[in-house]
Amino acid sequence: MSSRTRDKAAARERVAAMRAEQARAARRRRVLLAGGSIGVVVVLLVGLVVAKAAGVGSGGSAGSTSTPSARAAAASTAVVRAVTGVPQATLDKVGAGSVQAVPRKVDAPALTSGGKPKVLYVGAEYCPFCAAQRWPVVVALSRFGTWSGLGQTTSASDDVYPDTSTLSFHGAAYASDYLSFTGVETNRRTKVNGQYPKLDRLTAADSKTFQTYDQPPYITGSAGGIPFLDLGGSYVSSGASFDPQLLAGMSHRQIAAALADPTSPVAKAVDGSANVLTAALCEVTGQQPTAVCTAPGVAAAATTLTKGAS
Amino acid sequence: MTGRVRTSPAETTVVATSAPRWARLSSLILAVAGLAVSAYLTVEHYSSSTTLACPETGVVNCVKVTTSSYSTLAGMPVALLGLLFFAGMSVLCSSFAWRAASPWVARARLAGAVAGVVMVVYLVWAELFRIDAICLWCTVVHALTVALFAVVVLEAALRPQDAP
Repeated sequence: MSSRTRDKAAARERVAAMRAEQARAARRRRVLLAGGSIGVVVVLLVGLVVAKAAGVGSGGSAGSTSTPSARAAAASTAVVRAVTGVPQATLDKVGAGSVQAVPRKVDAPALTSGGKPKVLYVGAEYCPFCAAQRWPVVVALSRFGTWSGLGQTTSASDDVYPDTSTLSFHGAAYASDYLSFTGVETNRRTKVNGQYPKLDRLTAADSKTFQTYDQPPYITGSAGGIPFLDLGGSYVSSGASFDPQLLAGMSHRQIAAALADPTSPVAKAVDGSANVLTAALCEVTGQQPTAVCTAPGVAAAATTLTKGAS
Repeated sequence: MTGRVRTSPAETTVVATSAPRWARLSSLILAVAGLAVSAYLTVEHYSSSTTLACPETGVVNCVKVTTSSYSTLAGMPVALLGLLFFAGMSVLCSSFAWRAASPWVARARLAGAVAGVVMVVYLVWAELFRIDAICLWCTVVHALTVALFAVVVLEAALRPQDAP
C-alpha cells in the first residue's frame, strides 16, 4: 500500500471518528434535555405541593371572615341586568322547562307584610341547593317588582357542588306593588373554627313560619331543610327545583347570559323554575299583574302546580 | 436497538426498527391504565358523581374536586378530556404506531405527552390552590400522565436521529 493510500485511509478514519463523537454528543444533549424536562415537571409538581404545605397563596376554605371570599360582594351590574331582564319571549318558550320540583299547595293562613302577600325565603350562603334556587327566585320576583342590593357569591368550597355561582339575598331589598319579600341567609359560606358563621336572623314570626311549614306533610323530605320558600302562605317548597350540578363550572356571567337562550339547559331549569314560581305567585296576587300572569310561559308552567307535586 | 446502519458496496441505508421493548410496553400499559381510570371518572361525571370510591372528608375529597368549577374546561368535562387524551395516547403507543415509518406519529406522541403533562400541572394547581381538595382518582391519572410523559420523552431522546 502506498503512502498516499495510507493517508487517505487514515483521513477517512479520523472523519468517521469525528462523526461518531458528534453523534454521541448529540445523543448526550438529547438525553440531558429529556432528563431536564422530566426533572422540571417533577420539580414543578413537588413545588406546588410544598408551596401548599407552606400555606402560600391558599384560596381556600380555611380562611376567616375577613377574607374577601367569605363575604358576598355586590352583584355586578351586567349580571343583575341579565337576571332581572330575561326576555319575555325566552320565558314563554321555556314554559315549565326542565323543572324537577314544584312548590306544594298548602292550606295555611295568608302570609302578608305591609298589606301585601309575602314571600319568605330561608337559606344560607354556604348551601349549594340555595345557590341554585336563588336564580329562579330572582327571575320570578323580577316580574313583580324591582331588586336592589343583591349580593354575588358562591356556595361553600367544602360542601357538595362546591363554589356554585349564585346571588345572595343578604342585604338585598325588593320593592313591588304586588308582593313583599324577606330573604334570610342564615350563615356565611366559609367556615370559621369548623362552623359557618351566622349571618341573618329570622324574626320570631318568620321562624314560626319556617318551623311550622318546613316539615312533612307540607313539604317532602326532612324537616328544616333549606332553601325554604313560602309564597304568601299558599305554596311552600324546600330544596332546589333543579340539580345544582347544572351550574357547575359556570361563572355568574355565564349563568346570567344563558338565561336568555331558551335552548340552554340552564335556561330550561332556571327559567322553567321561575315560570312555575311566577304561576304560584300569580295565584297569590290574584293574577296580577295581568301581563305577567297571562304570559304563555306562566300558563304552561301553571299546569305543573298540582297539589302535592313537590 | 432502535436502528442500524447497513452498508453495502452499492449503497448506505438506514433501516428503521421499532422502539425498545421497555418503551413500547410501558407506554401502552400506562396509556391503557389511564384510559380505564378516565373512563371511570367520565362515567361518574355524567352520573351522580357521588359514588366515587374516595373519601369525602378533609383534604381528600373526590366529589368536591369532580363537581368543582374546575371540573370542566371550555364547557367540556375534564374527565372526558382525559378519556380522549388516553384514547389517543393508547393508539399512539400501540405496537402498530411504534413501528410506523412516518415521523409524524412520533411527533404526535411527543406532543400529546407534553400537552398531557401541562394539563396535569394546571389541574394539580387547581386542586391545591383553588379547590382545596385532592381527588385520589385524579391523582392516579396525573401520575400515569407524568409517567407516560417520561417514557415518551426518554424514548425520543434515545432514538437515533435517523430513525422516525
